[in-house]
Amino acid sequence: MTRRRSIYLDHAATSPVDPAVAAEMMRHLGADGTFANPSSSHAMGREAALVVERARRVIAARIGADPAGLVFTSGATEANNLAVKGVLAAARPGRRHLVTTRIEHKSVLDTAAAVERYGCEVTYVGCDASGIVSPDEIARAIRPETSLVSVMHVNNETGMIQPIAEIAEVCRARRVPLHVDAAQSAGKLPLDVRRLGVALCSLTAHKCGGPKGVGALWIRDDVTVMPLLHGGEQQRSLRPGTLPTHQIAGMGKAFELADPAEEGPRLAALRDRLRLALARIDGVHVNGDPARAAPHILNVTFLGVDGEALRFALREIAVSAGSACMSDNPEASHVLSAMGLTDAAATSSIRFSVGRTTTPDDIDAAAAVVRDAVERLRRLALGAPEWCSTWRTARLTDDAVFG
Amino acid sequence: MDYSAEVERRFDSPAGAGNVSGAGPGVAAGEAEDKVLNVWVRFEVQADGDTIREARFRVYGCPHTIAAASWIAESLRGAPVSALEQVDIDGVKRALNVPKEKLGKLLRIEDAVRACAEQLSAAAAPRADG
Repeated sequence: MTRRRSIYLDHAATSPVDPAVAAEMMRHLGADGTFANPSSSHAMGREAALVVERARRVIAARIGADPAGLVFTSGATEANNLAVKGVLAAARPGRRHLVTTRIEHKSVLDTAAAVERYGCEVTYVGCDASGIVSPDEIARAIRPETSLVSVMHVNNETGMIQPIAEIAEVCRARRVPLHVDAAQSAGKLPLDVRRLGVALCSLTAHKCGGPKGVGALWIRDDVTVMPLLHGGEQQRSLRPGTLPTHQIAGMGKAFELADPAEEGPRLAALRDRLRLALARIDGVHVNGDPARAAPHILNVTFLGVDGEALRFALREIAVSAGSACMSDNPEASHVLSAMGLTDAAATSSIRFSVGRTTTPDDIDAAAAVVRDAVERLRRLALGAPEWCSTWRTARLTDDAVFG
Repeated sequence: MDYSAEVERRFDSPAGAGNVSGAGPGVAAGEAEDKVLNVWVRFEVQADGDTIREARFRVYGCPHTIAAASWIAESLRGAPVSALEQVDIDGVKRALNVPKEKLGKLLRIEDAVRACAEQLSAAAAPRADG
């Protein structure tokens, strides 16, 4: 049976492994390959260690970092956990205050909630109606006892690029290390952690053509981090466990291929093609400021349609909600809520994200399916009360209406 | 969220969607909504004597709600007017395999249908001023 090809516009969730990456990984799996334990002292082990070191250099170069600071993890979630918990655990008692934002990925927000339960203090900074965090707000939140500031580079729901350089300047002036979750930006945007003054940076492989299950935390050499795991000397005991050579080599290959200068403009053109096509539908709002958007993410609210119904109507297109569908009481996206959207609007929002395999035909076909679905659901809801079609709560002005 | 084949079928082709054509004796409408549950339902019925000739709906809600409104509209057609007071919510849940956490949305449909019954009943009652 031939399965109809779905349109995949969910590259911010994960991307297919690039064939060159898969080929690279295969070289380190079998008996004829570099399968040995990279920590072993024999020749085969040393050969595997060279593979790991080669990948380490490529990844570090992509973010402007020194290779020695990279600690490989199972992905960005673990890297974020290691950064937040590790820095706070290493801080002196009485200096365990974290500043982060309300729009971080759950792997930072839930970690922040966890360290609060352990007795740390956390200050959450909001964002403006465009989903941008203010460096001034970060400055006001920093206290003498602050030991870490954690702000993402690109928001995973809206694609908004945060002003990391300005926030880093604020942190540098106050001698507080800045952790940046770059899971969504690596390979899509230029990133130079040393030039920016970033102290820790989380990375993942699978959002830019690499395999799932591998990521890294880059740690500047003047930052002390306590390990989450114990049980070996690997990676300076910061992340013990046998290094997965094939995964790390795959990540290295993916980062080698992911050139923002080449890929960024192509992705931005696809995203803008979709934005313009969707703007032809009435009652559509783009969430965020297109001038400050990463090239691969577009978050759109479709007023007057239930989000769960819309996602089901679009089930042949792989997209994500800006929220977790909780069936009876759909939980509105914490990011869109922080931007001032009503619960109804937040749950009626869809994140489209393009990637290396996306074509203009995919975009045109998806836009046509979306238009049909929205119009059909709106006809079904003809006469619905105003709250079903209200975009923003009253507390924020409509100063970021696009499309 | 998993959806049964029947939910999928009714979501894609919601039989009974729309409005009852025309107004007049025997036509009634009822609405119900719940902002927290993110649901709004409008039902319209046309009764001829004691029989429901037509039942139509409009809905803003999830796929289960849309499918349930369609199922109820179909079940009401040809039924006695008294059926408006006794919407078979258990029957809907079984037919569509509706998860229990969505029961609140089904109850809003029931409210809208009952509002139709009340309107029909009020229209049929003799006026106090003669």
